[in-house]
Amino acid sequence: MMRRSLPLLLFAALALLYPLLVAGSEVYQRLGALVVLSAIGASAWNLIGGYAGQVSVGHAVFFGAGAYAALAGYAQFGMPPVAGAPIGVAVAILIAALIGVPTLRLSGHYFSMATIAVAELVRVLVTNWEWLGGAQGISGPAVPRTVLDLSFTSAVPYYYIFLAVLAAILFGTWRIEKSRMGFYLRAIKDSERAARSLGVAAGRYKLYAYMLSAGLTAVAGALYAIMFGFIDPESGCGILISVKMLIMAALGGAGLLFGPLVGALILVPLEEISNSLLGGKGAGLTFVVYGAMIVVIARFLPSGLLALFAGRMRPAGKPSETEPSHAA
Amino acid sequence: MFWQKGALAAFGAALLALGSAHGAAAQQSVKIGAIYPLSGNAASAGGFSKAAIELAVDLINNGNADLKDVPLADGKGLPRLGGAKIEVVFADNQGTPAAGQNQALRLITEEKVVALIGAYQSGITVTTSAMAERHGIPFMAPESVAANLTERGFKWFFRATPVAGDFARAYSEFLKEQQAAGQKTASIAVVNENTEYGNSVASVIKEQFAKDGLNITQVIPYSANTTDVQPQVLQLKEKNPDVVIFISYTSDAILYAKTMKDLNWKPAIMIADDAGFNDPSFVATSGALVDGLVNRSSFAVGKPGSVSAVINDLYKKKTGNDLDDPSARAMQGMLILADAINRAGSTEPAKIQAALKATDLKANQVITGYNGVKFDDKGQNVLASSLITQMQAGKYVPVWPKDKSVGELKLPYKGW
Amino acid sequence: MSSILLQVIVSGLLIGAVYALFSSGLTLIWGMMNVINFAHGDFVMLAMYTAFLVWTTFGGGPAAAVPIAAVVLATIGLLSYFLLVRHIMKGPMLAQILGTFGLALLLRYSAFWYFGANFKTLPDSLLGPPFVLGSIRVDAPRLLAGTIGLLVTLSLHLILTRTALGSRMLAVAEDATAAQLMGIRPERMQAVAWALAAGATGIAGALIATFFYTSPTVGETLAIVAFVTVAFGGFGSVPGALVAGLLIGVIEAVSAFMIGPVYKDVIVYTLFVLVLWTRPQGLMGKA
Repeated sequence: MMRRSLPLLLFAALALLYPLLVAGSEVYQRLGALVVLSAIGASAWNLIGGYAGQVSVGHAVFFGAGAYAALAGYAQFGMPPVAGAPIGVAVAILIAALIGVPTLRLSGHYFSMATIAVAELVRVLVTNWEWLGGAQGISGPAVPRTVLDLSFTSAVPYYYIFLAVLAAILFGTWRIEKSRMGFYLRAIKDSERAARSLGVAAGRYKLYAYMLSAGLTAVAGALYAIMFGFIDPESGCGILISVKMLIMAALGGAGLLFGPLVGALILVPLEEISNSLLGGKGAGLTFVVYGAMIVVIARFLPSGLLALFAGRMRPAGKPSETEPSHAA
Repeated sequence: MFWQKGALAAFGAALLALGSAHGAAAQQSVKIGAIYPLSGNAASAGGFSKAAIELAVDLINNGNADLKDVPLADGKGLPRLGGAKIEVVFADNQGTPAAGQNQALRLITEEKVVALIGAYQSGITVTTSAMAERHGIPFMAPESVAANLTERGFKWFFRATPVAGDFARAYSEFLKEQQAAGQKTASIAVVNENTEYGNSVASVIKEQFAKDGLNITQVIPYSANTTDVQPQVLQLKEKNPDVVIFISYTSDAILYAKTMKDLNWKPAIMIADDAGFNDPSFVATSGALVDGLVNRSSFAVGKPGSVSAVINDLYKKKTGNDLDDPSARAMQGMLILADAINRAGSTEPAKIQAALKATDLKANQVITGYNGVKFDDKGQNVLASSLITQMQAGKYVPVWPKDKSVGELKLPYKGW
Repeated sequence: MSSILLQVIVSGLLIGAVYALFSSGLTLIWGMMNVINFAHGDFVMLAMYTAFLVWTTFGGGPAAAVPIAAVVLATIGLLSYFLLVRHIMKGPMLAQILGTFGLALLLRYSAFWYFGANFKTLPDSLLGPPFVLGSIRVDAPRLLAGTIGLLVTLSLHLILTRTALGSRMLAVAEDATAAQLMGIRPERMQAVAWALAAGATGIAGALIATFFYTSPTVGETLAIVAFVTVAFGGFGSVPGALVAGLLIGVIEAVSAFMIGPVYKDVIVYTLFVLVLWTRPQGLMGKA
């Protein structure tokens, strides 16, 4: 027990103290907040994409639902953005339930393609929806009216809010991992057919995981909108939002509790620092570095970084049953 | 188990150290942060703006004898700051509001810039200027036109560019003059890309024209990242309007020019709202397909020896392209900012802010066609204005209003 | 039918044939190996730049650019296969998405670094004037691209169904282990598939460059259409991609013309989602 929990405790202490450790640099305090925010999104994605093995490339829909709810509530009714967040979560869960039923019957790449298509469809619709600011997007409160607007100059308050949310999500995920649902999800991931034949209500559990994942992704979206104070169709529902969640999780280790966090710990600083160092030159080198890094990890650590550390690398060989190309 | 986590942490620490390694530059200069799209879909435009801002800085630091009227262009740096040079730190907004805001914080807190300029896309200007506002740093927006930017009650936000309302009035007056001169303007079509830029300009034009009794008969919004514009051109061909106003980015502008030729359709008057149709890569590759195209611009090359001609030559020497309108406005923004910092005689943000508020540049002191520079309470330049230019033999020539024109307006539209 | 509507349909068919052309490589890879190549759009982009280079260095038109781009891209395809794809295929599906997406970024921004962000276009006069049939106009570059698109998809289909090489490739696609027992080397077949697919993509890019603009990010715009076309047409089905491409081209053109250009995406994506939900194997895929 000690051997397992000691590093964890140390890591938690480091996380709690981080803003103090970099107290001299607002940029690194903000970097901390960005890492945790990305980890929230990727951990939310991990529930369906990692544990259940249903690779969604359309989670931007749910991210957008949270982000738009937070700022539309402000723009239309003068609500503090945080008050819109629960509405965003509810909307995301509702959308997940609606599109989940037909979409989760698809498997492998077909599920991925369908989620991309739904997300692109939603993006186009939002672009033409004036109530949500259309193509111009919506701004949050530029100057905070009350502390409830959660509009801070320093990134430290954001950091701790995000950290609390991440801790809650990781704790919840850990409980699910240990529960019957976690067992079912892993069974579905390994072989949906086998899981079904053992009497697991695969469809139902996939839907639960999808809805839960959607709701938590909406939380990430709302937090993003609160921090940045602006959302438009591309930054809310664009395909890059979906892909980034997937990349973080996959890089760290999809289906592992701390995988998304590890992915975020590497990718977000890499992205920010390489943009700060190279971006001003305007030669696109930031993304050359970023792309090369992803390629190298996919090539040498296909199951993610943590898989290497945890010694849980799946035997390389035939792609598992999550791969059948057609619908079930 | 533990050492592995340690290794990870060490890796992270190494990355962090890498980030703070740079930034200790010469302190004699005054630093200004410039946030532009240097990657992503708008990178082409961002690159041209970057070159124009570099040219502005070069004029201030090294001077040019032919530009006596332009403040600070004598190469003595900032005289009231002991001749301090200007140093611009560029950052890439990657085309996302998030990256723009992250970079704004870095420029303000790490690079210690005294002012920010940017950020091209209006949506990114929203988030970057909010960061400047929170830190009390002046923000200059030389080219973002979204109306709401100056409606936020910001105290540190200044916008030098004319906005959609100004363009719409210019088009309206221009068309009414053509009407009086006997051109057909009975039916007008507006074709706009449907992101923030195209939608906002289109809706302002619709309002203005309705007020002025100009008859818009067809509105065609479309998505800029399209693979095909044939249906739009065929919609136009079917209704055959007398006047078409295109509000487009570069990729779609290129496709429209080609497709209109392929499908052999042209209106009597074809107007383009700046942006894509003014992009140097458009002018270079498709200029020959749109002879007689009427465009809006705040910058146009005047007679040889004029300020605009000298600057255009310098820019061409630097980049191989003519100076385009958005880049000229970026350059103008940098010159305004430098002038204010010099008058402030200090790098203290509050003093620069006060100097910006007191800005009063005359028409002969600006490089663009503005009537001058003077900011109102909201930070909008009330003297910003647009010229109407026309594509003639592969080059845009200012043709309207009369007092600023260089060439003669030739109608109807010739095309290819 | 009004002549304008007829022109709309003709234009839709032509752009549809082009969609089919640049989607056939993607469907081949998907069918052969169950890998979605997220870098596909960037392969097209590289081919377009190849055509541009061919023209700027020695003034060559499509006649020179098409074979050169085919060879260049086939080489890039082989390199991608041996250096990356071969390895990530053994991993989970996520690693494939990760790997090909990383490759996409790498290619896109290497082009950005080398060629710059500016838009390039080939001269308009490269191919002759448009063909005029009554009131219908067909411009030469599109007609050429459409025709070659039909030829390339047809030949790919014939290679797969009528040649020994094709049947060996299909055997590997069906069951790599069984194929190996029959003395077929799966890796070699898969490498051939990548070379073929990338070569076809090279032809597509070189032709598209004659009437489209070229920029480092152009692949993004094209890739999403290719994905829709391939999934619509059916898993790994080359004729499916052809039918789907033509269909999507016409649906887009007609809906953009009748309802409005911003809604053409809504209609295409809605149809796409509906097809996936009701007939996931696509129009012509195997069930």
